[in-house]
Amino acid sequence: MLDLPGGHVRGGFLMKTILIIMVYLIFAPLLGGLLAGIDRWISARMQARFGPPIWQPFYDVLKLRQKENIVVRRSQNFYIFFFLLFIIFTGGLFFAGYDLLLVIFALTLAGIFFVLGAYKASSPYSFLGAERELLQMMAYEPMVILVAIGMYMVTGSFYIADINSFPHPLLRYLPGLFLGFVFILVIKFRKSPFDLSMSHHAHQELVRGIITEFSGKTLAWIEIAHWYENVFLLGIVYLFCASQPLAGCLLALAVYFMVILVDNVFARLKWQTMLESSWAAAAVLGLGNIIVLHFLR
Amino acid sequence: MGSPFKKSPWVIHYDASSCNGCDIEVLACLTPVYDVERLGIINTGNPKHADIFLVTGSVNEQNKEVVQNIYQQLPEPKVVVAIGICATSGCIFRDCYNIQGGVDKVIPVDVYVPGCAARPEAIIDGIIQSLRVLEEKRQIMSSMSGSIDQMIVEKANQSDLPEILALQKIAYQSEQEIYANSSLEPLNQTMKELEQEFRSMTFLKVMVNGKIIGTIRGYKQGETAYLSREAVHPYFQGKGLGSRLIKEMESYFPLTNRFEVFTWFKSKRNIYLYEKNGYRQFKTEQVSETMEYVYLEKIVKAKGSQDEEQ
Amino acid sequence: MINLSAVIDPGCRALFFYGGIVGLLLFLILFPLLAALVLLFANDRLRNIMVKAATVIIPVYSLGLVFTHFNLPVFHFALQIELMNRIMLALEILLGMYIFWVGLKYRKYWISILIFIQVVLMTGFELSNGHNLVIEHNLFVDKFSIIMALIIGIIGSLIGLYALGYMKDFHAHYQEPSKDNRKFFFFIIYVFLSAMFGIVFSNNLLWLYFFWEITTLCSFLLIRYKQTEEAVNNASRALLYNLLGGVAFVIAIIYLYVTKGVVELDKMIALGKAGALVPAVLLSFAGMTKAAQLPFSSWLLGAMVAPSPVSALLHSSTMVKAGVYLIIRLAPILQGSLAGLLIALVGGVTFLLGSFIAVSQSNAKRVLAYSTIANLGLIVMCGGIGTYEAVWAGIMLIIFHAIAKCLLFLNVGVIEHRIHSRDIEDMSGLIISMPRISIMMQIGIAGMFLAPFGMLISKWAVLKALVDYNPLLAVFVVFGSAATLFFWVKWMGKLLEVVKPLQDREKGISGTEMLPLYILASLTVGVCAFYPAISSRLIEPYVIDLYGRTTTMAQGNIVIMSFMMGLIALFPLSFINYGKRVKVNDSYLSGDNADSSIKFYGAAGSIKDVQIKNYYLENYFGEAKLTENGIVLCSIFLVVMFGVAFL
Repeated sequence: MLDLPGGHVRGGFLMKTILIIMVYLIFAPLLGGLLAGIDRWISARMQARFGPPIWQPFYDVLKLRQKENIVVRRSQNFYIFFFLLFIIFTGGLFFAGYDLLLVIFALTLAGIFFVLGAYKASSPYSFLGAERELLQMMAYEPMVILVAIGMYMVTGSFYIADINSFPHPLLRYLPGLFLGFVFILVIKFRKSPFDLSMSHHAHQELVRGIITEFSGKTLAWIEIAHWYENVFLLGIVYLFCASQPLAGCLLALAVYFMVILVDNVFARLKWQTMLESSWAAAAVLGLGNIIVLHFLR
Repeated sequence: MGSPFKKSPWVIHYDASSCNGCDIEVLACLTPVYDVERLGIINTGNPKHADIFLVTGSVNEQNKEVVQNIYQQLPEPKVVVAIGICATSGCIFRDCYNIQGGVDKVIPVDVYVPGCAARPEAIIDGIIQSLRVLEEKRQIMSSMSGSIDQMIVEKANQSDLPEILALQKIAYQSEQEIYANSSLEPLNQTMKELEQEFRSMTFLKVMVNGKIIGTIRGYKQGETAYLSREAVHPYFQGKGLGSRLIKEMESYFPLTNRFEVFTWFKSKRNIYLYEKNGYRQFKTEQVSETMEYVYLEKIVKAKGSQDEEQ
Repeated sequence: MINLSAVIDPGCRALFFYGGIVGLLLFLILFPLLAALVLLFANDRLRNIMVKAATVIIPVYSLGLVFTHFNLPVFHFALQIELMNRIMLALEILLGMYIFWVGLKYRKYWISILIFIQVVLMTGFELSNGHNLVIEHNLFVDKFSIIMALIIGIIGSLIGLYALGYMKDFHAHYQEPSKDNRKFFFFIIYVFLSAMFGIVFSNNLLWLYFFWEITTLCSFLLIRYKQTEEAVNNASRALLYNLLGGVAFVIAIIYLYVTKGVVELDKMIALGKAGALVPAVLLSFAGMTKAAQLPFSSWLLGAMVAPSPVSALLHSSTMVKAGVYLIIRLAPILQGSLAGLLIALVGGVTFLLGSFIAVSQSNAKRVLAYSTIANLGLIVMCGGIGTYEAVWAGIMLIIFHAIAKCLLFLNVGVIEHRIHSRDIEDMSGLIISMPRISIMMQIGIAGMFLAPFGMLISKWAVLKALVDYNPLLAVFVVFGSAATLFFWVKWMGKLLEVVKPLQDREKGISGTEMLPLYILASLTVGVCAFYPAISSRLIEPYVIDLYGRTTTMAQGNIVIMSFMMGLIALFPLSFINYGKRVKVNDSYLSGDNADSSIKFYGAAGSIKDVQIKNYYLENYFGEAKLTENGIVLCSIFLVVMFGVAFL
């Protein structure tokens, strides 16, 4: 490999990619857990409560690891393991700078493993949770793909590495897609008013929805998977302003705060409203943005 | 840092037949005034995620199975907190025709929080007290799970009986689940009856780190040895302990050709366990409208006759 | 009198080799015909032997085509047989008379009128111009034909094998038809295979038309197989719509000959947009009727009354593919034209609405039918756009869809015979009662929409092609795919969940049914592993021939897809840990479990069964409303399409 100058460069590139992925593997759950803790703290403050310590999500996960693992069907946990695996894989692809569409497909695959696990558990609550999770996926999927298309139209590449190195903030070209994406982020973060399939808060009509039948270590996996997922989703938000890294980070945090605020302000809506409004957002904000871009080009 | 259990106790609240006084106070704990989430406490609403089972009100005919069912669905380690005087003892309702009494009549209770209604401060204190029990159980569980290979099987003493009775009640909880309409004898056995049995039967116990986690008893009458009341702690079920206990017990009756056990007709797991160990069903007996006994036997060729063949 | 002559530079090819390929082509067309004749008179034993022999021979010869033709571009064959044209004309008139009589018999006079127009036009044309027609090459074979031939040869003969066991069960299960008519059934199936080979190898449009009409008739006869009133009505509808396409086909041929003096496919494509747009649009219209695009989609749904092998063979894997095959062939002409865009719009709307309606269906075969219509729409869209990327994606779609959908249809056929229902709600717990079938079913479903399986790779390519062509068209794929995801996953979930005690129902499924399923399931997975090879060996050369450049999946993405495949392949391994370190407990039913996870205490102590049902979202994706809108919209598109093409 060292004989060829090109090989050296490629080797360096590979090393860099591996390094990024390692950093992601270790720090994404830390960041994700911390964000979840901050979320709970801010939410508590918004409700005039003191709230748990910021590290609370980590305590929860550590505790869950020591609990007994109760299942209804013996194979239900495998699906969750693959959910975690593919979420990590998705994030890895994203931060390594691969094809954005591929990343979205991998995310869908991960989500489907989650849903199948809940179906497999065969309890009415988890079944209904799974069905609603699917509805949620159907609701946000168009918007996510439209974001990828919009980014491609501006930067000429689906590769996240290229999108990331685009010299101008994408927000300037894609304001509609950005707003639409923030809209569906509420679904993806499982926040009110669209926390239909499961909620972070106590009692709801679905008990705990899609995660009702998972306990112990498996529940901890689900939690960790969500941390990875949230970091990756904020990564997409960051892409909208990647030309100025600091502004990009601030944008991601601001969006996160917005979502928390929305969570605390709204009550849960019906799935009909979710489907209609998110498809309307995709059609008006997303597609509208793309139409404008198309005709301006 | 300490145990994560102390920092993240998740509760589930069930209203057995409370007047709602205690329920309101439990919910008050979640409000900004008391804000138990600052202690990491979450009301999960789902037994499979919870560590602590809060029960308010006395238990009646209608909901005793529900209380047992929910208790059954809490993953180990778990604790039960009885909140309010009704949950503690049945209070003024204890003599009602349909009241079982306090929660401890149907499931083991770890912490009692009296009061009518129990004040939020008392409830929070009860939960914090229960954390100690929870931690104790976790330690037992984790120390035991590593040392399953170092268990000791030996004859039990008179002094083990209270522990054995407690174990029996925990272990048969899951069986009781299956037979909602009729209660099983092992759960209703009193200390006195057990002491009586001890005089006429051989008791075995399985010890791990000084704790009894499994038991069986047997006696011989005529040519047949009868095995009964096999119990394994739920933490340790499904680890081959049952088969081991049966074999050990059989070895206490060396010259016996026939062993007999009985179980209840819906206990598929028990029947499977016995069949795995060479037992065959030979009769069933209808004891009541909803209950049927299944008898299994195992015929062993005597050692002597085997030698002759060789 | 057979006259052979090579078109491509003759110096480099030995005559015997050339003769070998002609022999192969003729064998592939004639052998199924021979088999069909044998099967028409064969008893049960001979039929078994014949079908099994055909199952070996046809795929071997189709594969032989790949290897003899490996490094060569297009081959054209003159193959002048005067007699053949006469026979074809005579047969066409006979078929026409039969269909005319059918129309009168069932009082579907439109059928009679259409076939009358068709036959009169065709006979008139051939009699008046027959001696003037100069046909240079009747047959040809290129990479695209080879792909189609492989699909027809391998999948077609597997379905034939499957039908052996299936049709036996079929007659045991159903009262209709009262007479066991299997001889006729197998006869038609193999005649159909012969005609399909004819379609993909014909360069002479008159031949192509002849084979096209035979497939139409086969479809009619097979849909009618049960002979119930419903079957007859649906078969007539299928016939009617396909005849509409047939009329367009005849007009296209006449128009092409009158304006340009050409009746050959390769010459027509060489004419390009300026010369051949009108006939191309007419032929695409014929293709759209055959591929059940929206104004005409109802015939394919009606066709679901036919036995499952028919649905798998004609109505998902091959015959409907002939329609999109033609459109993809004509893609270079349609590229960049307004008419092409309108064809793409019809395809797009069909994909979108087909996927939506599938959400509201609980009948398994209807779900599959709608999904087929939708995916054909996607391929039509690729053809209509006609860019090199779109053609690449369209051919990929044809391959992957044929395999996965065939697997699904055949599985549903087996399941229907076992559980006596084709309702998805009744398939609950199949993972316990029919584990192998259910796993293959899931492979098929995953193959239809999940990364890293084939259909997703193709859809991804379609998306890229659309974005490069006109991003606004991507909206169909974006929303349609979301609905696709929903209806497939809820079906998968239904197969997995278990809420009642179940017994094994898998015993007694015949080997001739299981073997094709195993092969198709491994193909579904295997093709994903080999698709880079398929792409570089077959699809890319074809696209380069047409456009001078091609597209393919980026190397890095292929690596990642393979990696994902590897991860998924680990899934069965997780069963090593099956049930370890977990405690099995009942599901949470608010503490009211009665006895187990599947029963609970209702009001007043009554014991109720747990029942869980899927969402069908009738209000949003209701069939009647969406179909109506789709028909109106697509009819307008078609009218505009003809308008812009002719003016």
